[in-house]
Amino acid sequence: MSPTIDREVLLSLRNVEISFDNGGKKKFKAVQDANFDIYKGETFALVGESGSGKTTIGRAIMRINELSDGEITFEGKRISGSLSKQEDTDVIRNIQMIFQDPAASLNERATIEYCISEGLYNFHLYRDEEDRIAKVDRALEEVGLLPEHKSRYPHEFSGGQRQRVGIARALIMEPKLVVADEPISALDVSIRAQVLNLMNKLKNEKGLTYLFIAHDLSVVRFIADRIAVIHLGRIVEIAETEELFAYPLHPYTISLLSAVPMPDPIIEKQREPIVYADATEEKTGPDYAMREIRRGHYVYCTPEQAAKYAENAEKANAQ
Amino acid sequence: MMERPMEDNLDNLFEFAEFDEKESEHIAAPRYSYWKSVWRTFVRSKVTIPLTIFVIALVLFALIQPMYSGYSPTVAPNINNSDMKYLSPSREHIFGTDNIGNEVWDVVWAGARNSIIVSFVSTTIIMVVGILVGALWGFSKKMDKWMIEVYNVVSNVPYLLLAMILSYVLGAGLGSLIFVMVCIDWIFVAYFIRTQVMIIRDREYNMASKCLGTKTFTMIVKNILPYLVSVIVTYISREIPLLISYEVFLSYLGLGLGTNYASLGRTISQYKSFMTGYPHLFWIPVLVLAAIAISLYVVGQKLADATDPRTHR
Repeated sequence: MSPTIDREVLLSLRNVEISFDNGGKKKFKAVQDANFDIYKGETFALVGESGSGKTTIGRAIMRINELSDGEITFEGKRISGSLSKQEDTDVIRNIQMIFQDPAASLNERATIEYCISEGLYNFHLYRDEEDRIAKVDRALEEVGLLPEHKSRYPHEFSGGQRQRVGIARALIMEPKLVVADEPISALDVSIRAQVLNLMNKLKNEKGLTYLFIAHDLSVVRFIADRIAVIHLGRIVEIAETEELFAYPLHPYTISLLSAVPMPDPIIEKQREPIVYADATEEKTGPDYAMREIRRGHYVYCTPEQAAKYAENAEKANAQ
Repeated sequence: MMERPMEDNLDNLFEFAEFDEKESEHIAAPRYSYWKSVWRTFVRSKVTIPLTIFVIALVLFALIQPMYSGYSPTVAPNINNSDMKYLSPSREHIFGTDNIGNEVWDVVWAGARNSIIVSFVSTTIIMVVGILVGALWGFSKKMDKWMIEVYNVVSNVPYLLLAMILSYVLGAGLGSLIFVMVCIDWIFVAYFIRTQVMIIRDREYNMASKCLGTKTFTMIVKNILPYLVSVIVTYISREIPLLISYEVFLSYLGLGLGTNYASLGRTISQYKSFMTGYPHLFWIPVLVLAAIAISLYVVGQKLADATDPRTHR
């Protein structure tokens, strides 16, 4: 991977905080102080356990969840908060989402043709009926489905096929950024690779940028260029994929990586998961900040911890 | 040491099967059409076809017969002919005659006609208004805040009191009775639809539509209402017979149609004094009412079942 510094930033989050009003006096903060940039053409993965806030961030970018603080910019323009109608249209056309559950995210009472054309209808992105149908056919072909599927209903398809319909529906808008919220975790293991390969193929063909939200580290290692690890609503570590897997620095990342099951039973038997002792208590304070330990490798820590992490990385590098 | 040679043989024993990727995407099942499946499920049950024909015949007969009989409650041609009073049902007088020499046959169908018209028209208006308001109400959180207060107030006003006041103010006619029924009932339909919309409003496919920039109205028409067909049909199938009975009930109390309209309710109320002497006078209108209401209800329920896609195939 090329260095991250001199590349064009597509999406950036600054001090993003998302909280939910749970009726009580204290609001529940799902995401705190999230900062990261997504560069054009990369696959940026967001990993973390259930309830860590990764989906919330994805939905905030899609503007389903509102920010309580901070801002999100896309190509330098603010997209959080209230937008004018034109800006709204631009954002919708440029950022699209692939949903987790293909069974729940398609309208069961509409044909595939309608599902895929929905975005075209909304912004009238076609010259005439013929053009629209040609676009739908092309979108179906791109994801490996047949034009004859247009008149079918979602329940007639397998999970993998439905997810590909979901991909076609997002890509017909010709977006620049695609937020993929656990796009394969609801799929059968045998067809996960099919969908991942398709996503990679489409990315290369169309020059897409992905925000890939997942909890499965083996999948993330396969697809992502850079990874952000999120824990209890806080991003604890950001690094390029191989860098993160080679030199995990934050204790949470280390324990997360130690939990990945190995496909080889003999190695799997020797695998010792490392328990993250501070899992329940929030580690934060005025000294804590994202600090660059190695090139392009950021960890949320205090200066003292940063020194220690740098030393650990040095040791690991020497081995 | 047996395993080795066997493993070597595996390569010879098996060969790669060829498969067509396009063919594997093909769906062999016949095309699904929602309304065709509804129809197929509806006619599957043996009771429904004869009962549906019966209902249609009954309704058509009630609508057409009064046009030929020319019955009007304001004229009583045989009132001075004592030979024509209190006749039992016979070949010439199918339902017999009543205390003023009218054919009960004509009286009952004229009454049934008005009941059916009132019920069908008010059900249509109630459902249209209720669904429109309910869908917006369920979708908009802002609207919900004040609509729920309106609902709390309106739904706690005793409906009989409301009917009384409205019918005194508006007078007793077909139009005003329909208005009374719409006034009383629309908010319950709207509330019912609001709850249904809220249940499916935040499902993922609606979120997906929102991300694609779909407008609220399109979402209601394309994403929400198709899911509610079954519950709406169920509601209608209850509403029509209920409003027929309701017309009868209000007219029985003297709050419904005026004396110059034929009405099943008022007929029953007038004939109830002959229950012991000439029981057929009382029971015939009651049984006709029951036949209309129950058969409409059963057919409606069958249709409601058929519109539920879970019953398909």
